[in-house]
Amino acid sequence: MEQGYVIEVKDVTKKFKVYYDKGSQLKERLLFRSRNRYEERWVLNGISFKVKQGEAIGLVGHNGCGKSTTLKLLTKIIYPDSGTIEMKGRVSSLLELGAGFHPDMSGRENIYTNASIFGLTKKEIDERMEDIIAFSELEEFLDNPVRTYSSGMYMRLAFSVAINVDADILLIDEILAVGDANFQAKCFDKLMEIKKQGTTIVIVSHALNQIEQICDRSIWIQDGKILAEGSPRDVHPQYLEFMGALRQEVADKEKGRQEAKEKVQESEKERKRWGNRFAEITEVTLKNESGEPQSVFSTGESFWIELKYTVHQTVEDAVFGFGIFRNDGVQCYGTNTRIDQTPEFDLTESGSARYHLEHINFLPGKYLIDVTIELGDGIPVDYYREVATLEVYSVVRDAGVARIPHQWEFLGNTWEGKEDSGNDRDNAAN
Amino acid sequence: MKTLKELYAYRQMIFSLVKKELRGRYKGSALGFLWTFINPLLQMAVYGLVFSFLLGSDIPKYYLHLFVALVPWLFFSASLTGGSVSVIASKDMVKKIYFPREIMPISYVTSAFVNMALCFLVIFAVMLLGGTVPPEGEQFQITSLLYLPIIMLVEYVLALGGALLTSALTVYFRDLEHILGILTMAWMYLTPILYSVDLVKNQLIAHGMEHLYWLYCLNPMTPITIAFRDIMYYGQAPHLNTLVNAAVLGLVFLVFGYAVFRKLQKGFAEEL
Repeated sequence: MEQGYVIEVKDVTKKFKVYYDKGSQLKERLLFRSRNRYEERWVLNGISFKVKQGEAIGLVGHNGCGKSTTLKLLTKIIYPDSGTIEMKGRVSSLLELGAGFHPDMSGRENIYTNASIFGLTKKEIDERMEDIIAFSELEEFLDNPVRTYSSGMYMRLAFSVAINVDADILLIDEILAVGDANFQAKCFDKLMEIKKQGTTIVIVSHALNQIEQICDRSIWIQDGKILAEGSPRDVHPQYLEFMGALRQEVADKEKGRQEAKEKVQESEKERKRWGNRFAEITEVTLKNESGEPQSVFSTGESFWIELKYTVHQTVEDAVFGFGIFRNDGVQCYGTNTRIDQTPEFDLTESGSARYHLEHINFLPGKYLIDVTIELGDGIPVDYYREVATLEVYSVVRDAGVARIPHQWEFLGNTWEGKEDSGNDRDNAAN
Repeated sequence: MKTLKELYAYRQMIFSLVKKELRGRYKGSALGFLWTFINPLLQMAVYGLVFSFLLGSDIPKYYLHLFVALVPWLFFSASLTGGSVSVIASKDMVKKIYFPREIMPISYVTSAFVNMALCFLVIFAVMLLGGTVPPEGEQFQITSLLYLPIIMLVEYVLALGGALLTSALTVYFRDLEHILGILTMAWMYLTPILYSVDLVKNQLIAHGMEHLYWLYCLNPMTPITIAFRDIMYYGQAPHLNTLVNAAVLGLVFLVFGYAVFRKLQKGFAEEL
């Protein structure tokens, strides 16, 4: 291994045997040969990466992409089918917290057992005892059996042991979901502290912002291969874009299924729809700027709501409208042609309409769209609830309901300096 | 070498597992830890009654003759049968966390070993109260007891080899656990525990097959049993031949068991 590196993974592949119906007894093995059929599933198809001493890297990817398998290989719980993995120094893993806890033994005894599984000697455990207890905040319960602990207390104790091992390499799988918000914050601070001390850290997480805060580098694994690698701020937007596209596919499939289901449940559908049906909405589609159907958008994008309708009877002074609700029921926006004071007209012929929605600044989430046709005096002609769904994703992690366009201005010397350099950049670009 | 170093680093884990095993075994029972002593004593009483009264064995102080061989045998058979499930029993840990997998059979065998050592206290008491049976014209030599740790160590090596082998194989092949029950019973009768090794020799001579005696000694428990009996029943130092025979077989067992374990352990997490 090169100087300064502590982890080297070279061309690692891994497959799992998925048995259709496995027998591990002699009788089953001999009598039901056919049951021993299995499928080989390749989880990793040649992964190579190196990690420097003191570096923190994050593994990202969607479920089942092979990132947790990679972590398991690093801990030596499982072994690769080909390729090599080299590691230098003591490895501690926060994969499964509380392994080997004995419910009947006291918290203190369990600290000893659990820490010994990480390869600590009694002396080393004694040295860390105070830190472990203090970190867990469980002083008063330490002599009670662990079975009397709440699950949160249990995890806190387990985490405290694992994090106080003083490993050279720390492997973490989705752990920052331990305990309440305070404890999570504490864990996070502790991780940063450990990192400062020069511990090498490998994290698997779906919480990209955590990875961005801790890690120097992100590795994006997709279908058992490394798709991109680099600074988290470069890799994550690519990853999110990809996941957005993926969700669109899923949404399309979902829609297909939904339609099939809705045909059967016509009566239930009626509850989402009311009005005198002088005219009827027949189809509602969300389309992107270039006119293609799309239901997943990034915050700030614009789109079209397109609808077709059939007229059975003249609708006098027709009013068209729409409403957007977040899937938890919050109305985010709604308007109609009367509110917007468009010229009055009577609806006599079937046709279509489309509304352009500019820069929908909703933050990520699922939104449902209602579309309506009413008479001028407010009597519903066809009020169609939740006729379309809209999903919004974002690479920016601002919080709330909607993004408010904003600028930052700082008054003072520093601001002047920044403005100058900004102008310089613009000039250079020109 | 690397494994040894790693095992040394994990010594606390072995220690606490052994402690857990010893303390946990009789947890909740009224007599608790006393069962460690009562169990072999009762076994000795049953076998002793059957063989000296019903079957009329002519071996003097048959109970001691039996007991000094039975206690080491119980250790060995426990290591094979109990050790075989040691990895499976801790599958939750094996699947979730890394530690040298050898620790599981090692700590099981070690706890059984401690158990045997405690039973020796009972044997010593029986020896003191009932006396021993030195060969004619000889005295009980107290110095022969110095050989006891040596032969105990040899048996430990042998038992560990056996446990490594069975624990790894049972992961892939669960029936082994039950097959081993029968196997150890047959093995017990192939070992001079209930009878004296002279019986085997005499029978072989009677049938003119004394040149086949070496086959009998291929059973690694034979020289070990002979040595234990030499030390504690006859009060004599065991023959060097017996010791070498036992040590060589023990090491062969360990090396073989370890090699198999090493090879199979990589798949444990996936197989369990």
